[in-house]
Amino acid sequence: MSIYLDYQAAKPVDPRVFDEMKPYFTEEFGNPSSLHLYGFNATKKLEESRQKIAEFINAPSPDDIIFTTGATESNNLAIIGGALRNKRKGNHIIISEIEHISILNIGKYLEREGFKVSRLSVDQYGRINLNKLERLINDKTILISISTASNEIGTLQPIEEIAEIAQKNKVWFHSDAVATQSSVPIDVQKVPFDLLTLSSNEIYGPRGIGALYLKKGVRVNPIIIGGGQEKGMRSGSENMPGIVGFAKAAEIMKAEINAEAARLKKLRDKLIAGILKIPKSYLNGHPEERTPHNANFRFDYIEGESLLLALKDEKVEVATGSACSSKTLEPSHTLISCGLLHEEAHGSLLLTLGRFSEEKDVDKIIEVLPDVVRKLRVLSPLTPSKFLEQIKKEGN
Amino acid sequence: MSVHKYTEKVMDHFRNPRNVGEIEDADGVGKVGNPVCGDLMWIYIKVGKNKEGEEIIDDIKFKTFGCGSAVSTSSMITEMAKGMTLDDAYKISRADVADELDGLPPIKMHCSNLAADALQAAIDNYRTGSKPEVEIVTSCQLEVRIILGLEEFLGKGVYKKVDDLEQFRDKRIIISDTGDESLELALKLTEYTGRVIVVTSAKSTPGRVEIRKKLERSDVKILYQSELIEIKGELDEVEKVVIHDFDEDENYELFVDVVIILD
Repeated sequence: MSIYLDYQAAKPVDPRVFDEMKPYFTEEFGNPSSLHLYGFNATKKLEESRQKIAEFINAPSPDDIIFTTGATESNNLAIIGGALRNKRKGNHIIISEIEHISILNIGKYLEREGFKVSRLSVDQYGRINLNKLERLINDKTILISISTASNEIGTLQPIEEIAEIAQKNKVWFHSDAVATQSSVPIDVQKVPFDLLTLSSNEIYGPRGIGALYLKKGVRVNPIIIGGGQEKGMRSGSENMPGIVGFAKAAEIMKAEINAEAARLKKLRDKLIAGILKIPKSYLNGHPEERTPHNANFRFDYIEGESLLLALKDEKVEVATGSACSSKTLEPSHTLISCGLLHEEAHGSLLLTLGRFSEEKDVDKIIEVLPDVVRKLRVLSPLTPSKFLEQIKKEGN
Repeated sequence: MSVHKYTEKVMDHFRNPRNVGEIEDADGVGKVGNPVCGDLMWIYIKVGKNKEGEEIIDDIKFKTFGCGSAVSTSSMITEMAKGMTLDDAYKISRADVADELDGLPPIKMHCSNLAADALQAAIDNYRTGSKPEVEIVTSCQLEVRIILGLEEFLGKGVYKKVDDLEQFRDKRIIISDTGDESLELALKLTEYTGRVIVVTSAKSTPGRVEIRKKLERSDVKILYQSELIEIKGELDEVEKVVIHDFDEDENYELFVDVVIILD
């Protein structure tokens, strides 16, 4: 069996969630829009599920939750729908340089449609500059969209301060919470988000389902138009098995998040301490203010995809910010925005832990990685000859 | 992720690359690629003669920085070219290398292109007897260039002199190599931040011997054969710089907080 250290890419569905979903594919197949018994039962389950999602983020009412097909759709609905809703008030939107690709591309789309998009720069750890955020806001600004954390480098953003600045300037604050959902509790009554993106798979629910939280009084224009489901903001017959699974996943996560976060943090700290023993290795992202399940490294002189392939041969499955592993052949925009050079960004190793990670997984990669890095450095023309002599000596 | 798209042959060459290394007294060296794109390939050849008296590749070695297919194509081309006449070896194309590996994912074809180019460069190098690289020693010999944005951001992230180092704590700093004083400052700044970059026109570590040794041991990142050509920012704050790499003859951007160009 391979060791899986790429929980940010995909998570397995928790067996407890899967059991809960099963009847909704077969016996309980009703459509909530129908008025007969099947429809009535479906409506009841739909609203119970909505209540569980509301409880997960401590939303005051289940009415604040709209189901979507996942985080990408929620981001589209929040930002495009929010921009269209407010276009008479203004045309300026602020995002950060290190947002998820779905948000960066929404920004490009809105620019083509005549909106103005500012991209807030980040420091070497990937934290946004609050002072600059405040100065970017003008009387045309309608929306700020900054994630709770980076899913790639794990750096947490100062969301309470961002929300405060947004509120003071009467600008909506949208946040993609995907990177923190599985390890940092969310309370929308403590941090006044206007819009919040949630994903089901991020908390061990099925894929193809997600949600958007909208604060009471916040409405967006629909981008999918049809029969008026989800208060007209997201039409289309509800994905009942998905919704039921998402709700169960949220219920489990709410009950277990603190214990799980503490456990993952311990494993992550062991991982970081172990891997940074390798010479010329560095941690990407913030040393303390980071999600408990994320560790991102870089190693001088080697390239990420080679690292990924070599680890695959050791039965350890990981991710990289290397361009060679992306569809666009561009290195990670997040690492570049943190100030890394292209060749440094190419050498990143992204390890993400999850519910089913164990200490022996961490021990395994700490054991095999030094040798893998050494072999690739011997092969690399970028390795300085003095350093090469040194590592060759250590290896034999 | 494209990993599963590699053929068994590609994976075999990646796992057990053939002919890795350098030839000390090589007759020809081909260096191609660009770390900015993530691929860099050096090929070394030793030329001999066959029974017919034709020039052949007697020995060939390579070093590669790059993705799986970059490693595999370099390894494969060394196997293909060994013993070949120079004329035949010069004709090996990127398609030949890819075919020999039972194909490459389409997006990776640029990597295999490099292996053939590197071999051709090595043969060219042998035939013309030219040095593979141009030596550039220090920045002092270069003419003074105008840096766009320098005046605009002076005092707003750009410094011509520096007194209080504490203000640079945890900042991303780029320092132009204007001599030993600037290099000593770079070393001192590593006590305040993890990110100090020196941009120098030199081809190897600049500075007098003691400084050079210290730089090599330090975490200072050095951009060789490069110069700062533009400073960019927003709201009166430096955000990034444009670096010109004159070895590759191209420009790229780098996110920084502070630019130091000592007078």
